[in-house]
Amino acid sequence: MTHSAEDRRVLLASQPPYLHPPYVSSKKRAPARPLVALPSALASFKGPVFGQDSLQPGDCDLTKQHSGEPLGERIIVIGKVTDDDGHPVRGALIEIWQANAAGRYKHKNDSHAAPLDPNFSGCGRVITDNEGRYSFVSIKPGAYPWRNHENAWRPAHIHFSLFGAGILSRLVTQMYFPNDPLLPFDPIYNSIPDESARQRLVSQFDWATTQPEHALGYRFDVILRGNRSTPMENTRP
Amino acid sequence: MKFIPTGSQTVGPFFSIGLDTLCQQPAMSPSPDAVLVQGTIFDGENAPIPDAVFEFWSDNEFVRAATNEDGNFFAVLKQPVNSLYFDVLIFMRGLMRPVLTRVYLGDERTFKEETSLQRVPPERRNTLCARAGETKNHFSWDVHMQGDRETVFFEF
Repeated sequence: MTHSAEDRRVLLASQPPYLHPPYVSSKKRAPARPLVALPSALASFKGPVFGQDSLQPGDCDLTKQHSGEPLGERIIVIGKVTDDDGHPVRGALIEIWQANAAGRYKHKNDSHAAPLDPNFSGCGRVITDNEGRYSFVSIKPGAYPWRNHENAWRPAHIHFSLFGAGILSRLVTQMYFPNDPLLPFDPIYNSIPDESARQRLVSQFDWATTQPEHALGYRFDVILRGNRSTPMENTRP
Repeated sequence: MKFIPTGSQTVGPFFSIGLDTLCQQPAMSPSPDAVLVQGTIFDGENAPIPDAVFEFWSDNEFVRAATNEDGNFFAVLKQPVNSLYFDVLIFMRGLMRPVLTRVYLGDERTFKEETSLQRVPPERRNTLCARAGETKNHFSWDVHMQGDRETVFFEF
């Protein structure tokens, strides 16, 4: 429960700072004043519990939400959600969202001149099983341009939102794809100081999950902070 | 801690695709045992933030509410049973991980015994207090990410 100084250093290096100037929009939105320490009461909120009945049919297969098949490279994403002690996180709700194969989000503010796909919405939801495992079917999202800097392109990624044991376990992250040439140039991916922590955001191609004549498999495991862990100190502006 | 937690990444500008399902539908008339908390969230140049999403956590409730195009949010909340506040996570484009704050319903003088407020510099405590509105059970609470009125954010 009490973390050593080394634990804290490693934890801090695994997480991005609020202010990361290469990501331009952090400049006006990152807190400028030091964070205030809270007493331990934070861990007392267990947070919401989601049952399988909170899912709709088709939530775990983003290729089956319309009358036709979406365009693109079909993928199966699997993984395991554990806490920072290595215990599986059971019944964890995962919310997923992503661009289509052309790199276009089905969102009114996405002005990228790539086509929408009438057969792809890009929204999925799954709940982990008793071993903390999840899987969903989708298509590989395309890279897309943004205006953060000159010739800026986001590497292909799938957004993940996860609920664990409580508020400290809450995580929103992005899953990337192996060997993406855009990763070295992406200020969002590179906002995480520690290289090995960054690399853990990159999924791994998985033969065992790949299905013949159907889809390529990728594995993306997630580790959530335990509900008893100590909040991160961060006095950096 | 045996394993290092997965790194956080921003929700980005298009989070509504994935997060809308759990968002509370706007309701301007809370039931008698509920309160409406509404407000606006501002960036460092005092511009409203149209792409933020709030999560209110208490001992008996979880409520998610996204801002509209004017940076306004509306959340209908049940009074917490065992605490005087809601823990609030705020996610947005530009934040690589959420900020954590707290909102107390009412005047800061009411909460001066609260341990979490005692750690907050006195001149900043009002940033955590939602003002009672003219209508019963309506409260307003603005959030400022930076500047003279920067809201207090906690270690998270």
